[in-house]
Amino acid sequence: MSQPTNMAQLFERLNDLKSVFKYGQKLIPIIQSLLDFMSETVPLLENINSSITESTSKIPKAANQINNVTSATELATTEILDIIDIMLNDIIEIEKQLENICKIKDEKEKIIKQVKQLAKNKKVDKLLADYEQLDDFNNRYTVISELISKIKNNSNNITLSLQVQDITSQQLAAVNHLINSVQERLASLILNLEETSISDIDSNKIMVPKGSHFDPNANYSKSDGRQDMVDSIVNNHKTSQDEIDKLFS
Amino acid sequence: MSLKFLIVDDSVTMRRIVVNSLRNVGYTDFVEAVEGKEAIEKLVSDDKINFVITDWNMPGISGLDLVKSLRSNAKFANLPILMVSTRGVKDDIIEALQAKVSNYIVKPFTPHILKEKIEQILATV
Repeated sequence: MSQPTNMAQLFERLNDLKSVFKYGQKLIPIIQSLLDFMSETVPLLENINSSITESTSKIPKAANQINNVTSATELATTEILDIIDIMLNDIIEIEKQLENICKIKDEKEKIIKQVKQLAKNKKVDKLLADYEQLDDFNNRYTVISELISKIKNNSNNITLSLQVQDITSQQLAAVNHLINSVQERLASLILNLEETSISDIDSNKIMVPKGSHFDPNANYSKSDGRQDMVDSIVNNHKTSQDEIDKLFS
Repeated sequence: MSLKFLIVDDSVTMRRIVVNSLRNVGYTDFVEAVEGKEAIEKLVSDDKINFVITDWNMPGISGLDLVKSLRSNAKFANLPILMVSTRGVKDDIIEALQAKVSNYIVKPFTPHILKEKIEQILATV
């Protein structure tokens, strides 16, 4: 009784096998087209891979150039600040000299007064009056003082504008950080595509010190609005802090 | 009151600008530090420093961490600290105030603003 059952099972398995072969026959063209697709795609992927590798190797150069720009602008800014320092020192010296001239002027006026009193002569009085008119010290003093104040104001404006160097250097540091992140992503992509060494890329990696901080949103604006907003927050905070302090006192 | 300033900023340009601005408004005594750790060392070793002007974004100990660190020490609890930063977002300013900075200036600033804030701080000390 068991033999016919076994035979039936055998035929059943053979039928299963036949179905698998039939399915395989249907699958073969699909596998073939898949292989064709892959053989066409692999060179394309290799192209993409080499292109990414090439781009990745260029990134450190771009980052270094950004660092060079930061260093160059910092150097140039320092040189301008040196000149402003010299200008300010000169202005301080001019102000001192003007003060001395004022003191001498006061002394001269005292002497003229004494000469007038001693001479008691109309001709001498007229000559001294003419001399005083020629002197015109006060007007000249005002003009010079205004010029000094203008130079000071201009140097303040230059100093204000030079702060753009710090702001742009923070923006460039943010760009460098972004470039570094892109390089890391591309490097990991290359490793995933092809298990090749990227030691040559790593050796040129951008030098970004750990813990280096920058403000990616650093913004150069001379508008008073930003400081006004800060003042408003500071004042509100102080008011609320005062109220809290009062509650505790 | 004779003031000795400690200027803390990793940017040599900004340190120079702060020094120039202070000189411009009549202050003459200052020392500089490149980041928070150096600032603390200078404060500990120099008792004459009685005013700190600090940036926020610095490598190592940031300006905000410097303020927090100083405020946690009784010796520096009332030390005038003026923060000068590019950060002009409300949340940042509130964070700085919560860390107990004495006042805040957003860059770029003029010597006039610097003088005004220093005087405001000194009026409350």
